[in-house]
Amino acid sequence: MGYLEEMAKYQKTEKQKSFSADFLERQQIEDYEFWDEIEIGKETVIPFKFEVKAEDVIAYAEGVPDANPVFYDEEYAKKCGYDGLVAHPMFATQVLFFVLKKGHGSWIRTPGSRNPGQIIEWHDPIRVGDVLTVKTKSHDKWIKRGKYYMRYLSEMYDQNGKLKGRCFMTLVLPRSKADVLRFIKGEHALEA
Amino acid sequence: MAKRLTFEWVNCGDVLPEVKQHVSQEVIWKHAVASLDYNPVHTHPEWCKTAQVFGLPLPVMHGNQTMSLMATVITNWAFPVGGRLKRMEVKLIKPVPVGSSCTYGAAVTEKHPIGKRENFVVLDLWVMNQDGEKVAVGTAQVILP
Repeated sequence: MGYLEEMAKYQKTEKQKSFSADFLERQQIEDYEFWDEIEIGKETVIPFKFEVKAEDVIAYAEGVPDANPVFYDEEYAKKCGYDGLVAHPMFATQVLFFVLKKGHGSWIRTPGSRNPGQIIEWHDPIRVGDVLTVKTKSHDKWIKRGKYYMRYLSEMYDQNGKLKGRCFMTLVLPRSKADVLRFIKGEHALEA
Repeated sequence: MAKRLTFEWVNCGDVLPEVKQHVSQEVIWKHAVASLDYNPVHTHPEWCKTAQVFGLPLPVMHGNQTMSLMATVITNWAFPVGGRLKRMEVKLIKPVPVGSSCTYGAAVTEKHPIGKRENFVVLDLWVMNQDGEKVAVGTAQVILP
């Protein structure tokens, strides 16, 4: 059984079943952004939205894995002082990968990228029923010890325009499209 | 009877209960499905043999899964009493390849009594692998009732 079939066994939610798991598919690379082409200061409201369903909240906690009942049991969460099911703090990862499929911010999917660490701020709890919109801005890029760093500031808003959270998304990326295409073929293409 | 966790009750130096996780390929695949991050460096063992993004021929755990488990140390501690995570900053130091076993910990370093429903503590966070090496460090701000 191939790796895609292995993962398909765990796909339960509507979003998981409809999302393409093949990040090496050649055609989608044409929609990506590459480190050496990205202009700093560009801001985009991402056209794809994320409607938060209970199954999304539960599935994220299962995948951490985190068995805390505040993520699974609405009545328990209310007894703890919340107004409903609680989303795991890192639930934003699912939201960002769902909406940043192509164009601005899509470099988070890049084969060959490395995660040096992240900064996340939470402003208001994500609730079941929220319809989330992501605004993203190319914030900074730099070279350090031969590595090419990319940082975007992504903000999540609900359907009422309320700020839910901010993520300073940072990765070390292959420098160019040519380097990403080498990774697609399974070759190593990092300078450091 | 155990004391209920409150901002008043917490002291600098308090150590939170640890979380432990063995990192199998299945654990990583489940996180890939949950997060929708299907990057082959995590999910595709054959590709990793030649691409060696981290200089290793093995898939590695998602950095954001490491961060999620660091957050779990906090949610286990503070969420049953209505606590809230306000900010987290993490530096990922070493890759966590398939087969690793990690321990996730935290300790209180600061108290900020700035007002009811806004009082928060600062935590130091760390992750150690099975060889006792730190693979991630960070800080978090947590609002407590």
